[in-house]
Amino acid sequence: MAESPALSPASANDVAPPDAQAPLAVPPARGAWSLSPPENASATGDRIDALLARSHGFDLALAAVMLGWLLLAVVRFRGARKVAPDGGTRRSRAWVLGLALGVFGVVDGTLFLGSEGYLRDVLWNFRVPTEDPRTVRIEINAHQWSWEARYAGADGAFGTKDDVVTWNDLRVPAGVPVWVQLVSTDVVHGFSLPAFRVKLDAIPGRVNQTWFQAAREGAWEAACYQHCGTSHYRMRGVLTALSPEAYAAWLHEASLKAVQGYDADDTAAHWGWVWRTP
Amino acid sequence: MKAGAFLKSLWTTDPQRVARQYLWGGFLFLLVGGLLAMLIRFQWAWPGQPVPGLAWALPESKGALTPPAYTAVFTMHGLLMIFFAVTPLLFGALGHFVLPLAIGAKQMAFPRLSPFGFWAYAVGGALMLVSFVVRLGPASAGWTSYPPLATPAFTPGLGQTLVTVAVLCVGVSAFLYGLNFVVTVVRCRAPGMTWGRMPLVVWGLFYGAVLNVLFVPVLAAATGLLLLDRVAGTQFFIAGAAAVGGGGDPVVYQHLFWLFGHPEVYILILPAWGMVGDFVAFFSRKPAHGYRLTAGAMGAVTALSGAVYAHHLFTSGMAPVLGRTFMVLTLLISLPAEVMFLNWLMTLWRGSVRLTSPMLAALATMVVFGLGGITGLALGAVATDVPLHGTMWVVGHFHLTMGAASFLAVFAGLYFWFPRMYGRALDERLAKVHVLLSAVLFIAVFGGQLVAGYAGQLRRLYDPYQYTFLAHLLTLNRWTSWAAFALGTVQLVFVVNLVRTLGWGRAAEPNPWRVGTLEWTDAGPGAVVLRGPHALSQPEVQEQLGRDWIGQAEPLSSSKPVVEQVAPPVPGVEGAV
Ligand SMILES: [Cu+2]
Repeated sequence: MAESPALSPASANDVAPPDAQAPLAVPPARGAWSLSPPENASATGDRIDALLARSHGFDLALAAVMLGWLLLAVVRFRGARKVAPDGGTRRSRAWVLGLALGVFGVVDGTLFLGSEGYLRDVLWNFRVPTEDPRTVRIEINAHQWSWEARYAGADGAFGTKDDVVTWNDLRVPAGVPVWVQLVSTDVVHGFSLPAFRVKLDAIPGRVNQTWFQAAREGAWEAACYQHCGTSHYRMRGVLTALSPEAYAAWLHEASLKAVQGYDADDTAAHWGWVWRTP
Repeated sequence: MKAGAFLKSLWTTDPQRVARQYLWGGFLFLLVGGLLAMLIRFQWAWPGQPVPGLAWALPESKGALTPPAYTAVFTMHGLLMIFFAVTPLLFGALGHFVLPLAIGAKQMAFPRLSPFGFWAYAVGGALMLVSFVVRLGPASAGWTSYPPLATPAFTPGLGQTLVTVAVLCVGVSAFLYGLNFVVTVVRCRAPGMTWGRMPLVVWGLFYGAVLNVLFVPVLAAATGLLLLDRVAGTQFFIAGAAAVGGGGDPVVYQHLFWLFGHPEVYILILPAWGMVGDFVAFFSRKPAHGYRLTAGAMGAVTALSGAVYAHHLFTSGMAPVLGRTFMVLTLLISLPAEVMFLNWLMTLWRGSVRLTSPMLAALATMVVFGLGGITGLALGAVATDVPLHGTMWVVGHFHLTMGAASFLAVFAGLYFWFPRMYGRALDERLAKVHVLLSAVLFIAVFGGQLVAGYAGQLRRLYDPYQYTFLAHLLTLNRWTSWAAFALGTVQLVFVVNLVRTLGWGRAAEPNPWRVGTLEWTDAGPGAVVLRGPHALSQPEVQEQLGRDWIGQAEPLSSSKPVVEQVAPPVPGVEGAV
C-alpha cells in the first residue's frame, strides 16, 4: 500500500497512473519574478485572494508606519538635549491605548469579518455540496508517498466492485462542487490544492472533509504540505478539471474496467467507506 | 587533583558562572544550528548539488544532500535552535546573569537547581550531537516530531529516540530555571524593589519563566508518551490501520505539542520585549513610556499565550466552533502587543537617542519583531491561514519573531551586559557593524521566505522545483540563499570582536551605559531600593548630582532646593508608578 505508484504492480483495477515526475502539461504561467499567489482555478478563490491581498496591504501599511516612525524618531531626536523626565502623561498613554484599539479594530476586525464570511459561505458550508445533485464525491487515501483516490462508480456507492481508483491523478468536472473525504493509513499528510486554496490534514484514524469547485477546465498540481518522511517532496499529484461530459465519459469507461479487473482477494484494495448523508 | 578541582568548578551555584556556562553552550549550538541552516539554504539554491566541503560527511553522494540527509538537517536545525540555542541563551545565560542582580537578590532562590538545570541541558545537548552519528540515522521527523511519523514504524533510527530523550532533558532544564526564576522574583527581591520598580527585562524573564513552569510539563507529557510509543510499544499516538491493536490518536499529540509550542514563542520573545523596553528607555535617556501599560500588556500576552495555540491546527479538521474561538483569541493577542510596541515608539519620541550597540540591537529587535508580528496577522484568521498554512510564509513569519528577534535580543543583552559579565568592553564599532548587517540580512533572508510562501512555496520540500507551479521560484530562493550565506559570514565579526576582547580587550568602566539598575550600581548588602529602573533625566538629580541618571538604591538628599521645572510634576517614582 505504501509503495509509490511507479513501483506498485499495475493492477487492472487501477487506471494507469500518470507519471508524477513528468512536467505538467500546463506551462507555468509565471516568470521568474512573478510573486503573486498560485493561479486561482477555484470558483470561490477570488474571495480568499481578495482578503489575503487586503491583509498584505495592512502588513505593508503597518510596516511603513512602524519603520517611518522609528527612523524619524531616531534621526530627529538623536542626542537631543532636553527630554521629558516622566513616563508619559495621562493623555499620551490614552493616545497609545486609543491608537492600539483603532489599529486592532480596523486590521483585526477586517480579517475577522472577512474570514468569518468566507467560513460561513464556503469553507465550512457543506450545504453547497450536499444540496447540489451534481456534486462529485471523492475519497482520498494519503500514503507515503502518493494520493490514492476513489470514485464511486456507476452505482454511486463506495466500497463496491465498480469503484474507480486512481493514483496521483484526480479528475473532476469543472463547474461542479467536489466533495472530498480524506484519510491516511500511515502518517499525517497534508492534502493541498494550491490553485484551489484547499488545504486539509490527512490523519490516521479520522475522516476529514472539504469541498471545492473548479472554475474552468485545466490541470493543476496537488501537493503534500505536511512533512511525511523522506519522499515527502515527491508526493505530487495532478488534478484535471474536465468538462462534465468528458468527466462522465471517463468515469463510465474507468468504472467498466474496474468491474472487469475486480479482485475479491485483494483486500488491501477494498478501503472505501459508506458516506453518511448529513 | 587538578582535574578534580576543574570538575568541581563545573558544579557551581553562582548564578553568574552558570550564566557563562549556558552562554558558551548556547553559542556552540547556535553555530551547529546555523551551519545546518546554511545547508538547507544551499539545497534550495542548488538542489541535489554537492555541497563544497561536505564530502567527508556524505561520501556516498560526494557531499550532496540526499532526501534523508535533508530531512535530518531541517529536523535538527529546528530542534537545536529552539531548545539548545535561543532559549538557553535568553534564560540560561542572560536570565541567570541579570535576574538576581537586577532585583538585588544575593542568590537564586534555589541555588543548587541552577547547576542541575545546566547539566540536564548539557546532557541533552550531548545526546543531540551523538544522534548525528548513530545507527539508522539521525532524527528526521521534523522539529515538531508528529506521530505516527515519529514512531519507530516510520522513523526507526536510534537518532529519533536520542533526540526525544534530549528534548526531555532540556525540558527538565527549562522547568528548573523557570521555577527558580519565578520563586526568586517572588521571594528574593531586595527591600523596596516593588513589582512596579522591576526593570522590564525582569518582567519579561518572570513571565517567560511562568510560561516555562506551566507549559514545559505539557511538552514533557507529549514527548514522554512519544518516547513510550518508541521504546515500550505503547500506542498513544498511533491510530487506525497503522496501529497493531487498539490505537491512539495522533491529533492528541498535536494538541499537546502546540499547547507547549505556541507559548514557547512567547517564552522566546518575552525576555526580548523586556530588553527592548529597558534599552529604549536607557538610550533615549528618559523613563519608559507607560511602564505599567507595557508590563501589563506583557502580562496579558502571557495570560493569553496558552489560549491561542490551536491556530496551528486550523487545517487539522477541527470543529468550526473551535476554529472560530481560536481565531478570535489569536487576533486578540495582537492588541497588547500593539500597546507595547506603541509605548516603545513613544519612549523614543522626544527622547535623547544614543545609538550604542545595545540600542541598535534593541531597535533592530523592534523592527524584525514588528515585521514578524505583522506577517502573523494573516495566520490568525482561518480563511487567510488556509492558503498560507504550511508554506514558507509561515517559516518567514516565525523566523522573524522567534529567530531574528530573539537572536538580536540575545546580542542586545550580550553587548549591554558583557562589560559586567567579563569586566571587559567589546569593541563598539565592530558590535554595531555586526548588529546592523545582521538585521538587514535577517530581513532579506526571511523576507525572501515570506515572498516565496506568498507565491505558494510549501515548506520542508527537498526540491520545491518538482512542482511546476513553484519552478519559477528558483531565482528568488537563490538570492535568498546568498543573503543567508552573507548573514552567516557576518557572524565572524562577532567572533573577531569576542576573541579580541577576551584576549586583549581593555577593562570596562564600572557603569559604561550610565544607567541606574542594580546590576550596574550595586549598592552593597542591605541596600534599599528607592525608585524604578528608568530614573533618567530627572531634574532634581541633574541639579544635585550633575548627571542624568541615578541608581535605583541611591539616596538623593533633599536638602538642596529642587528647581521647579516646566515639565509636568514628577511623581515620587517617575513613570514607574
Ligand atoms: Cu505526505
